[in-house]
Amino acid sequence: MDTSSHNNTITVNTALYGPLAKYGGGKYIAEINVALEHGDKIEDLLKYFELPPDEKSYLFINAVLCDVPGLYASQRELLHDGDHVGIFSLQHMWPYQYRDGIRMSDSLTEALEEHGPIKNTY
Amino acid sequence: MAKKIVRIDMSELVATYENVPEKWSRWAGRGLTSAIVVDEVDPTCHPLGPNNKIVIAPGWVTGSPAAPSSGRTSFGGKSPLTGTIKETNSGGLSGQKIAKLGIAAIIIEGMPKNDKWYSIFISKDGVEFEEVGGLVGKGMYEVDELMWEKYPNKPAVIGIGQAGEMKLSNAGISVNDPENEPGRYAGRGGLGAVMGVRGVKAIVIDDKGGPGVEIADKDLFTQGRKKLTAAITEHALTKKDGGLHAFGTNVLMNIINEAGGLPTRNFSAGQFEGAAKISGEAVAENINERGGVGTTDHPCHPGCIIKCSSIYPDEKGNPFVSVLEYETAWALGANCGIDDIEYVAKMTRECNDIGLDTIEAGNTIAVAMDGGYLEFGDKEGAFKTFDEIRKGTPLGRIFGQGVEATAKAFGVYRVPTVKGQSMPAYEPRAIKGIGVTYATSTMGADHTSGYTIAPEIAGVGGKVDPLSNADKAELSLTFQAATAFIDCTGYCLFIAFPILDIAEGWAGMAESVAGVTGMDVTGDDVIAMGKEVLKMERLFNEAAGFTPEDDRLPEFMRDEALPPHNVKWTMADEVLDKVYAWVHED
Repeated sequence: MDTSSHNNTITVNTALYGPLAKYGGGKYIAEINVALEHGDKIEDLLKYFELPPDEKSYLFINAVLCDVPGLYASQRELLHDGDHVGIFSLQHMWPYQYRDGIRMSDSLTEALEEHGPIKNTY
Repeated sequence: MAKKIVRIDMSELVATYENVPEKWSRWAGRGLTSAIVVDEVDPTCHPLGPNNKIVIAPGWVTGSPAAPSSGRTSFGGKSPLTGTIKETNSGGLSGQKIAKLGIAAIIIEGMPKNDKWYSIFISKDGVEFEEVGGLVGKGMYEVDELMWEKYPNKPAVIGIGQAGEMKLSNAGISVNDPENEPGRYAGRGGLGAVMGVRGVKAIVIDDKGGPGVEIADKDLFTQGRKKLTAAITEHALTKKDGGLHAFGTNVLMNIINEAGGLPTRNFSAGQFEGAAKISGEAVAENINERGGVGTTDHPCHPGCIIKCSSIYPDEKGNPFVSVLEYETAWALGANCGIDDIEYVAKMTRECNDIGLDTIEAGNTIAVAMDGGYLEFGDKEGAFKTFDEIRKGTPLGRIFGQGVEATAKAFGVYRVPTVKGQSMPAYEPRAIKGIGVTYATSTMGADHTSGYTIAPEIAGVGGKVDPLSNADKAELSLTFQAATAFIDCTGYCLFIAFPILDIAEGWAGMAESVAGVTGMDVTGDDVIAMGKEVLKMERLFNEAAGFTPEDDRLPEFMRDEALPPHNVKWTMADEVLDKVYAWVHED
């Protein structure tokens, strides 16, 4: 039986890295299982942590890149029970050649197409 | 005073100072080491034989006053690991001191007739040889300490540990840092073995009283270095308390892991459950908690203002090891299934002491684990492999030869190498762009061969487009060419971040090079000059017997799907062949 469904809650494992860890009670890394409601989205997760969206940079859901610095493509991503979310700070870098070809969400793909090429994306 | 080439003949123990020939005068750093190797080393020679050479060259701006983060030293020769040409560069004290002595390059050739070991002392007064049989068998921590006790003025010490003495293919060349620790390595490709063949245990450089670096146009140089300095100190990643300063290169561990591109347990998975424990964030936490000499505010050479290095202390705050780079923590950690940062630190110290490249060493242990020698995650067993290498046991000598020899010894099919050199910390099945560079680089699998985001320079769209379907071959070539140029400057590759984001920084970099050298260099010349270097290297490799069929990733990456995305390497061979097709077209 899916108890989380029965209780109308889901559990999302969340890792906050670098300066963002303070929103999860850590110094540089915080990993927390967060109970959310069915239908909750990334924006709800950020609210749970009281994490200002403009402080996040790269954001992953289950190893899929869903957001990058300066965009907010992940806000409406629906979360599911058992998801893992990793959120990085603006202090983190990711040189282009080390992410060229990685898997991205449809929402981020659309956002990037709409926004056009972005700079300062390290 | 015009710069000189110092040619050292170890057969006769003679050094001569030569003018820099016109054909080499445009080059420094990687461009100069590769030009000399191309001209003077037979591509078909045995890397451990009498016809190979070691060439050492600082960059164009290295040693010039207040050029920021510009202390790189290039080392060149034919690689025992790959059989290709090799340029591998390092931070530390050597580059600036060589340059301040007015030396463009040091060429070490020949072999001692008596099988003895020597140190070479280079100062403003010339070159002195000394037999140093007492140093044989010693690791680099002790060698560095003894050299500073013997020589005044806190000299640069370039040396090899036991791995180089044994001529192992994974032997790197150590350069001491400002604290006289041996954590800076021209590690990749086994050039430590080539130095060992020459009978050179250590090269000591004292620049006191040297002529310094001549500046052709002081105003232009000053203008350029000020622009570059401003860009570095302004940029979010390179400024004080930016990502590199706070967490070092290991700031990448958690990101690459979250993306599913972290090679784990000998490239059998793309995520490691213990990644956070060995990440830059974890290292920073330990450093801050332990105090003492531990710091994340550490330059690997005087004048570095990025300071991505750190000093990792022991539990009492005493110095233990510097530096736990991302690739190091990955190779000795995630790729071996080890999530204990203390063991990663201990093994890093072993590599620094014995004189081993950490990437190749970690990959070697992982391959041995894959072959059943140890269980993945066996940190005690992994640590003990370094005893085998240090002692030169038959097993240790196999490990010291690197991944391919070890894979053969243990019957392993999953061999993550290109041209004999093992892959760094980015899984090409998940991060496909880097795979093109791994496959085609003139150096074997190398993450620094295609470092900079050059499309902005090259005008490929003006800005980086993460969704771009731009030809991956063209992109990789542009990356490789821009990187080859920066490898000539003596600047650290990490200036790529500010100079590509901040136009004034880019202009400043080019102006500083033009100011020092007097050459008419602008940003528009970067790719063309980088391609000149690549062409030299590529043609050397072709003469050594390499063909486009060597520009391939290993078979298992086409056969095995990588979790969590369950992706295979699917890049067409035609794309890979296109990267260097221009060499015979231009």
